[in-house]
Amino acid sequence: MRFPLCDGSLGIRGSRPKLGQGKERMHRPPLLLAILILSAGAAWGQSPPPADQSEQIKVLLERIQQLEKRLAVVETRLPAPSTPVLYAANAPAPPKPGPSEPSASAVQAHQHESPETQTTVGQMETHYPSLQIRGFGDVDFSATDQKRTNSGFNLGQLDLHLASALSQKISYFGEITFNARPTQYTIEVERSIIRYDYNDYFKLSFGRFHTPIGYWNTAFHHGAWLQTTIDRPFIVKVGGTFTPVHFVGLLAEGNIPSGGLGLSYNLGVGNGRGEVISRPGDAGDINNNRAWVAKLYARPPKLYGLELGASFYQDKIAFPSPTNQNFREWIASAYLVWTKGSPEFLSEFDNVHHRNILTNQITNNDAFYVQFAYRLPWLERSLKPYYRFEYAHMPLSEQVFLHQDQVESIVGLRYDISSYAAFKAEYRNTKNQPGVLGLLAEPTVNGLFFQTAFTF
Amino acid sequence: MKPTSKHVVTFLWTILWLSVPLHSPSSAQSSRGADIAVVVNADTPVTDLSLAEVRKVLLGERQYWSSKLPVVLLIRAPVARERDVVLRVIYQMSEAQFKQYWVAKIFRAEAASPPKIVYSNDMQYELLTALPGAIAFVDSRNVRPGAKVLRVDGHMPGDRDYPLR
Repeated sequence: MRFPLCDGSLGIRGSRPKLGQGKERMHRPPLLLAILILSAGAAWGQSPPPADQSEQIKVLLERIQQLEKRLAVVETRLPAPSTPVLYAANAPAPPKPGPSEPSASAVQAHQHESPETQTTVGQMETHYPSLQIRGFGDVDFSATDQKRTNSGFNLGQLDLHLASALSQKISYFGEITFNARPTQYTIEVERSIIRYDYNDYFKLSFGRFHTPIGYWNTAFHHGAWLQTTIDRPFIVKVGGTFTPVHFVGLLAEGNIPSGGLGLSYNLGVGNGRGEVISRPGDAGDINNNRAWVAKLYARPPKLYGLELGASFYQDKIAFPSPTNQNFREWIASAYLVWTKGSPEFLSEFDNVHHRNILTNQITNNDAFYVQFAYRLPWLERSLKPYYRFEYAHMPLSEQVFLHQDQVESIVGLRYDISSYAAFKAEYRNTKNQPGVLGLLAEPTVNGLFFQTAFTF
Repeated sequence: MKPTSKHVVTFLWTILWLSVPLHSPSSAQSSRGADIAVVVNADTPVTDLSLAEVRKVLLGERQYWSSKLPVVLLIRAPVARERDVVLRVIYQMSEAQFKQYWVAKIFRAEAASPPKIVYSNDMQYELLTALPGAIAFVDSRNVRPGAKVLRVDGHMPGDRDYPLR
């Protein structure tokens, strides 16, 4: 068997497959798996040895500790303070003194701040505005047995995330993506939010959000590195229409005093879907009806890792001429997740209800996914196999959506090559059932997908 | 499904299920040492927190002590024992998971900045004194007189049932 030459990254030289070879359809899945494993192994070998760095840091910290102890000893030899040390008014007694506990004079010495101290504090204080930029990116390879598609590499979204504290209680968050298209790159403002914090119970934001429907859309959305799998579930696909993933308007959020329940809320009012229903009304609403969204979720402190919630969304969809049809849309969503890596469990159910305002015809569209992942205990817990099952049903009488029913299973493996980069390999089996566009769809599609995702 | 694809699926499932019985309950096993005290700036209006409340503060789910006083999180740099205990007992995360958690937290616009990293006890105390609302985790042997130490689940460092060790 001949393997293509591999230079240790996802870039392959030599016998690189040409565009169009995908017509051979899934003819070499073991070869692709081998390429991924070889690439991962080579890249692993090239990464700096984290153990050595840890050792160096440990040695340095030990030296700092020793110097601190020596300093404390020197300070204890200084003359006793003339003024007594004050304890905080409501502070409990200090803990039992240990062998290295410094005397009161040490505290006195620290009360006179040196220039170095002032510098340290000055550096660590938050200055306004304090802009932080973080990026996400991914490179993908796919090969499926779907007709009229090619196998090959593609660039995922390049995502820049901006966060800036404008004052102690005002923050700005922005997100811009660069998306590869056949002839150009498109730039999209995914989020632009200014948030005013009153306290933990009330925070008010204005701008373009990820709509707080369900779990995935606000937990991951852009940035493939954040999610375990290569792609998102059907209900929150990029450019998908099943749920409105973005929302332009205002959003109130916060915790609810609820003891052991750990309740929180989101309440939003905004423009809702635009003329193209996958997009929000960025430049203005298409009607005088505002959409609203409400979400209630719980993170019980005693069940750390568990989150469950429900959300509701209401909007009026107005199609432009020639159809000029208007629909009422209700979306109800519920989810249950366990977010610890061992195991990780995500499940979400959405019902999208449409009523034609003219004819009163009603349709209900349902979709859900269940995802299970488990971080293996070996190799510094860097391996995470996963499985996801998805189901989406849209009745033939549906007039807003144009999809067919879909059942999909994916099984894959994520390998975190460092704290900020990962390799993923995934097999997908998708079954399409006849719907509005069912005649064009293939009943079953199998595919192999590979991705390296990272943040920088 | 083609036979080759079936083999790939079988291989991955085998890895998944073999791992389950081999998994240990916690990645970082507890190592006995001094208790880790929860120390706050003297003006912080709390004296006692449950472990769940400490977790909520560290997870960034509680960001204000009061409407006018935001929480300022101070965490020791990697490999310090205080950090190990905080990650193992409170976050229940590995170092990598901890980093990923804060990247995701900021990405979700739930926090504007991650915890401030401190490299020594001196630096920690300087910031505790200077920054209103600061909270830090200090080896109880290095707690200085005058520091405001919080009870956790009603216990002080040194108590038999103190949870942070």
